[in-house]
Amino acid sequence: MHKSFVSGQWLFFKNISKLLGFSILLTACIQKKEAPLPILGEKDVQGTDTVYHTIGEFSFVDQDSNIVTQDTFRDKIYVADFFFTSCRTICPRMTAQMDRVYDSVEHDPDVLLLSHTIDPEYDTVALLRDYAERLEAKSSKWHFVTGNKDDIYKLAQTSYFTTALEDKSDADGFIHSGAFLLVDKQKRIRGKYDGTKEEEVNRLLTDIGRLKKEYDEQK
Amino acid sequence: MTSKNKKSYWLFVIGCWLLFSCTGNSTGSESTSAANSTKFKQYYIQGEQLYLTHCSNCHQENGKGLGRLFPPLDKSDFADANFEKVICIMKHGISGELVVNGKSFNKEMKGIPSLSDLEVAEIATYIYNSWERKHGIVEVQTVSAILQKCDSVKIQ
Repeated sequence: MHKSFVSGQWLFFKNISKLLGFSILLTACIQKKEAPLPILGEKDVQGTDTVYHTIGEFSFVDQDSNIVTQDTFRDKIYVADFFFTSCRTICPRMTAQMDRVYDSVEHDPDVLLLSHTIDPEYDTVALLRDYAERLEAKSSKWHFVTGNKDDIYKLAQTSYFTTALEDKSDADGFIHSGAFLLVDKQKRIRGKYDGTKEEEVNRLLTDIGRLKKEYDEQK
Repeated sequence: MTSKNKKSYWLFVIGCWLLFSCTGNSTGSESTSAANSTKFKQYYIQGEQLYLTHCSNCHQENGKGLGRLFPPLDKSDFADANFEKVICIMKHGISGELVVNGKSFNKEMKGIPSLSDLEVAEIATYIYNSWERKHGIVEVQTVSAILQKCDSVKIQ
């Protein structure tokens, strides 16, 4: 009797350890498959379809005098921000961080960068070209765009949910957010990051990789 | 006493004498150098804070600048050769072309007229004692004298 109790106990432990091993394997497998990045903005459920917020149409001019529209970013992931060249507060920090993003995606044909000036009266095409050249940024990768001021402000506010406004009382003459926005191939915003902070931009770099993986898995 | 013990006894005596003579010699200048190093530390720490507030947006926290937009301060032949000019630029700004480490920069830097002479001295102490520079403290009197004659300070 004593012997059978021992072997029963042994069997119990053996099964438990099998179960434990199996569940560890299972959780490992589950953890491997990351949750997809969130889709930001309001969504509209229409029957069985969910319609997500997307970036509206736009037409601007970049540092090479080329017209930049949604077509420029067709089938591309891109990172957008709003800045101006004469800004001395947060923009130089943002530019330095965007330059880091540039370095990491320079040879990746899937990813582009889009910086909008919020001071189009001062930031002419020639000035933006000089700015881009001084950063050694290729215009095919990093578009610095200017255009109609109201169009830019409206796009910032309604499409990218970020702030860009003229304010003569502000030290720099503008109120604007230092946000970087990650936009996917369906023009949906998948992440918002503080472009003045290195850790936040590290998170953006990771998320670009996650987003690319999402598309790779769909292939 | 064995010869071995004798040897270690004398080594001990010589060691003690060396120790006392060393500490004894330095007591004279110790108090002044300690005061100097406290002042230096105050300037440096204060300078670092001011640098982070007023300079690092463009020149970056690591002093490396950015592309050909903002010149570096960490390794800079310009800063090394133009101590007086750098002091003046902080307060009065600079525009036009500037060549740093063989690269041309041409973006206006606006000066910060609200900086006091002491604050300029503190920032200068920070810049000239960081990134392998060991200039030592930059005194307020030095800065005040330079700021008096900024019109005549030429780029070297």
